[in-house]
Amino acid sequence: MQKTLRAKRASFSAIEEDHGYAARRLDYGPGALNEEPKRRYHILLMAPAILTLAAITIYPFFWLIYMSLHKVSVARSDRWVGLDNYARLFGDVKYTDGWLLLVKYSALCLTLEILIGVVLAVILNGSRFEKVLVTVFLMPMMMSPVVAGLVWYYLYNGTFGWYHWLFQSIGILGETSILADIDTAMWGLVIVDVWQWTPLITLITLAGLKRVPQDQLEANMVDGAGSLRNFFTVSLPNIYPFLLIAILLRFMDNFRFIDHILVLTGGGPGNATRILPVYLFDVSFQFFKLGRGAAIAFTLLIVTIVLGLILVRIFDDPKKQVASGEAGETTDD
Amino acid sequence: MASREIVQYDSGLSRVFKVLAQVFLVVYLIWTVSPFIIMVGSSMKDLLEAFTLPRVGDWLGALSFFDFSPTFKHYVALFAEENFGAYLTNSLIASVGSALVAVVLGTSCAYSMSRYQFRGKKDVFFWIISTRMAPVVAVIVPLYAIFRSFGLVGTLPGLILAYTTFNLPFAIWMLKGFFDNVPYAIEEAAQCDGATRLQATMQILPLVAPGIGAFLVLCILFAWNDFLFATIIGSGGAKTLPVATKELIQPQNVQWGKIMAAGVVTTAPMMLLGLLIRRYLVAGLTMGAVKE
Repeated sequence: MQKTLRAKRASFSAIEEDHGYAARRLDYGPGALNEEPKRRYHILLMAPAILTLAAITIYPFFWLIYMSLHKVSVARSDRWVGLDNYARLFGDVKYTDGWLLLVKYSALCLTLEILIGVVLAVILNGSRFEKVLVTVFLMPMMMSPVVAGLVWYYLYNGTFGWYHWLFQSIGILGETSILADIDTAMWGLVIVDVWQWTPLITLITLAGLKRVPQDQLEANMVDGAGSLRNFFTVSLPNIYPFLLIAILLRFMDNFRFIDHILVLTGGGPGNATRILPVYLFDVSFQFFKLGRGAAIAFTLLIVTIVLGLILVRIFDDPKKQVASGEAGETTDD
Repeated sequence: MASREIVQYDSGLSRVFKVLAQVFLVVYLIWTVSPFIIMVGSSMKDLLEAFTLPRVGDWLGALSFFDFSPTFKHYVALFAEENFGAYLTNSLIASVGSALVAVVLGTSCAYSMSRYQFRGKKDVFFWIISTRMAPVVAVIVPLYAIFRSFGLVGTLPGLILAYTTFNLPFAIWMLKGFFDNVPYAIEEAAQCDGATRLQATMQILPLVAPGIGAFLVLCILFAWNDFLFATIIGSGGAKTLPVATKELIQPQNVQWGKIMAAGVVTTAPMMLLGLLIRRYLVAGLTMGAVKE
């Protein structure tokens, strides 16, 4: 429908120009003569949202910088300490380890999610049960991460957890729960994340697979390619932009969501799962060192913003036309 | 599907692949669904039944999971003893409230963002989207300090405002994409017919109404499922369901029956909402980068 409308609009303006109406057209619509009232109208519409957002994001951002330069305590007034909060981060093993663990955790989650998610999407694509199964696979994503954490905490329990029983029965785990051992605790968290978010990768990949040009697949098959080679030579390059978006989104979500980690391990045992956001939470709200917490938060924010810039760059990429833009219109029903 | 028409030689290897694929699918299905089944099952079990496991390696014994007499006493206890009615109301007010704020402010802003060109628009847009992507743990540190000085900690308005930090940028970003797809010609035509600017704007609202509805639901979902803001900003007076559920874990006495029941109470409504807006889910969860 939109396409026809757009086409009509294009032909309409073409006719206009043909008859020399173009100049007069400025009198109404997006014209130049009433630029001022138009400006006022749009500013009026944008102002409430922009001001609200500024009040709850920009103002706190400056507060964050202020706090990171002070020793903040509840009882006494804030004391200026300069860059001391930042300087101490470099000597803080938990801080540097936090980054490493965050990268390790994200790498494990992403690798598994991409692998399983893509395989699942390929199997599901065009299968008889695609619609039903996709709906079922959506379920974990709707669950509150903290509830997911609680359910898995129960499943992992060393005395009555069903997944603990399963791991024991397969023979990959002894008496101790997966979360209680320094070597396996990280895997316990990864499993939960994979359980909850692999379907997102599957959905994104499925959306991509639907856009793979059939003629390319057919041409490749005529040339003698099997379905496996077809996937790697035709499908994969086509869904690559989709996967890139999926990876970045999930990577940033690993920064954003620590709910299930707080429930499952709280950073322990030892510091085996204290990824940076969890450490930040501890410093700020367990020990109430808000100044130091602010310094950590600031570094975390900067990294996120850089990642966000990369993401937006991909959104703006001409390739994006494959991913959404035009393609989104043709499939609109 | 056109590719089916091409004859593929059915080799033994591809048949093995097909079987493997089916096995993979079944295993994945069980893996996805089992936590839900165990959650719902355990929420309706007595303490003793919930704590029985088959012997290690006794695969058939796993079926004993379904051998229990269902009881709803945990659900009753949640509302009778644990005050979950109040937490449910808190969750509803906070999530619906922030979703309404986000969508009402977001719609008008997204509309102008879509229709009006100004200098630095790209930067404003990046700022909006970056606030959405900022880690909640990082945002919450200064927000907590500010809210404390305004007396907003532990209140529902405070929580609604906190949720707006991620819902408003989401609504603006998604709805702008929606407005971009509506041709400007409709408003032009309306204005030619003598409509005022506002009337012209109103003309296209019905066209984006489904999208607005879907993103309202998604905003509710994000806010409802939040834990960090709720536990820091909402602690005390504005306890929501996820926080109340987590607090059922006490060091001396972990009441698993109640926790699982609370999990069901927290999850079920969002599951239904998710199904309701199934069509918009992928777009919503990928910030509009991918559409189905």
